[in-house]
Amino acid sequence: MSNIIHAQNLVLSYKKNEPIIKNTNLIVKNKDFIFLTGKSGSGKSTFLKSLYGELGVESGELSVCGFNLKNITRAKLNLLRKHTGVIFQDYKLINEWNVERNVMLPLMIAGYSKEVCKMQAHKLLKHVKLSHKAEKMPMELSGGEQQRVAMARALAHNPTLIIADEPTGNLDDYSSEVIWNLLKSVRQHIGSTIIVATHRIPQTLDIDYKQYFLDEGTIYEVT
Amino acid sequence: MKSLKNHLSFIIPLFILLFSIQFATMLERGIKKYEAHLTGEYTIVCVSKLPLEQKVLKKIIPSIKSVKEIKKDKYIEKLKSDISKADLVYLRANLPKFYTLKLNSLPDKAALKNISEKLLKIKGITKVETFKKTFNKFHQFLKMSKMASVFFTIFIFIISFMLIVKQMEIWTLEHHRRMYIMGLFGAAFWMKSASLYKSVIIDALISAVLVAIIFLMLPNIANLNAIKTDLGIDLNNFNFIGDLSKLIIISLLISVVSVTTIILKQKNT
Repeated sequence: MSNIIHAQNLVLSYKKNEPIIKNTNLIVKNKDFIFLTGKSGSGKSTFLKSLYGELGVESGELSVCGFNLKNITRAKLNLLRKHTGVIFQDYKLINEWNVERNVMLPLMIAGYSKEVCKMQAHKLLKHVKLSHKAEKMPMELSGGEQQRVAMARALAHNPTLIIADEPTGNLDDYSSEVIWNLLKSVRQHIGSTIIVATHRIPQTLDIDYKQYFLDEGTIYEVT
Repeated sequence: MKSLKNHLSFIIPLFILLFSIQFATMLERGIKKYEAHLTGEYTIVCVSKLPLEQKVLKKIIPSIKSVKEIKKDKYIEKLKSDISKADLVYLRANLPKFYTLKLNSLPDKAALKNISEKLLKIKGITKVETFKKTFNKFHQFLKMSKMASVFFTIFIFIISFMLIVKQMEIWTLEHHRRMYIMGLFGAAFWMKSASLYKSVIIDALISAVLVAIIFLMLPNIANLNAIKTDLGIDLNNFNFIGDLSKLIIISLLISVVSVTTIILKQKNT
């Protein structure tokens, strides 16, 4: 599976005949690090939503991790989501669960034993420098800390594809740096493919990446 | 505190619903037992010039259980000192036969009238006494009690069920965000809903056990023995294993069906 994402004449919309993404073609290869940039409201989040099946394909073809997303069944979608790790701008942590349990979520879904889940969560929380907050509830953390928890959760199951939607949009410099360094390290050590929607690419990030620009519903490669 | 309030908002209507079902069952059992008792005691008296045969009567009126002739000798004996021997012989020869008829079940007013009419058509029968005045009073009372209990149960059932469904909607909305996030990571339906089902099942069991405890304690709370002595209706008829199992099954069924319906409804919207 050399192509992790393959979009062909892809059209995405929330309302019929009002496409947000128009006839887009995109190929993302295994281990690619992609930045998807564009103005606010250009459709970056919409495109990312289609990658984990939250938004259906209106026309064209879209395949992610070998799953054809056009008319995908619920069971197959669940399977695809087990291969992806998503980081949201608004974190999307479960507020009724503590930090450790939030990080354990993808592993619990994958069916690992409680001990394995705990061990992996502990390891990841150490990476995002939040080991001391494992028992805290998300609401007790700052925005930056919540995003680091969300990051740890997205990486917990060693996903093939990491989708990050403005992961540092609301964060302070320290948390942003932790997030970028972690993404870089994941790509180097695990070999995950990473696609990040962002307004600005961090200048200090020392990594090979491809940049795509989304404008008026079409994705262009920036060379 | 919020969680306790949430659980009580589900347990209370479910408890009331189960209580009404068990109350109706208790009344039904008590009345059935009382009816059986009344049926055993209830007798129709027939006067006939000709001898009557149970087999023949049963063919015409299948609800007849037994036919017994009332022996008139001892009554005639009592007249020995008051009338002459010749008159006694005449009386013995011409006095009609008296029969008591017992039925299989307690008939209502219309059925009783029908039985009476059929009996009067039989050759030889001159009079039928159904004691319908006394009998009807009891029967009407029993029927009314049964009907009131059924209406009461249906009414309570509807109100409680609506409250349960409302509470489920609130729960599902509260769990909606968590279920949505779990779904984003590929959790299956059963996994996303597991904690909701767990809460519902625990509350359903609590409600069923509470109702069972109340009905076990009922003889101490209400003076059921007085009802039995005064009216002859035995309401102390709670069957611990049978009734508790039934309450648990109903409770689980109502809870699981309502929570599944609401989850599926929300999933499709």
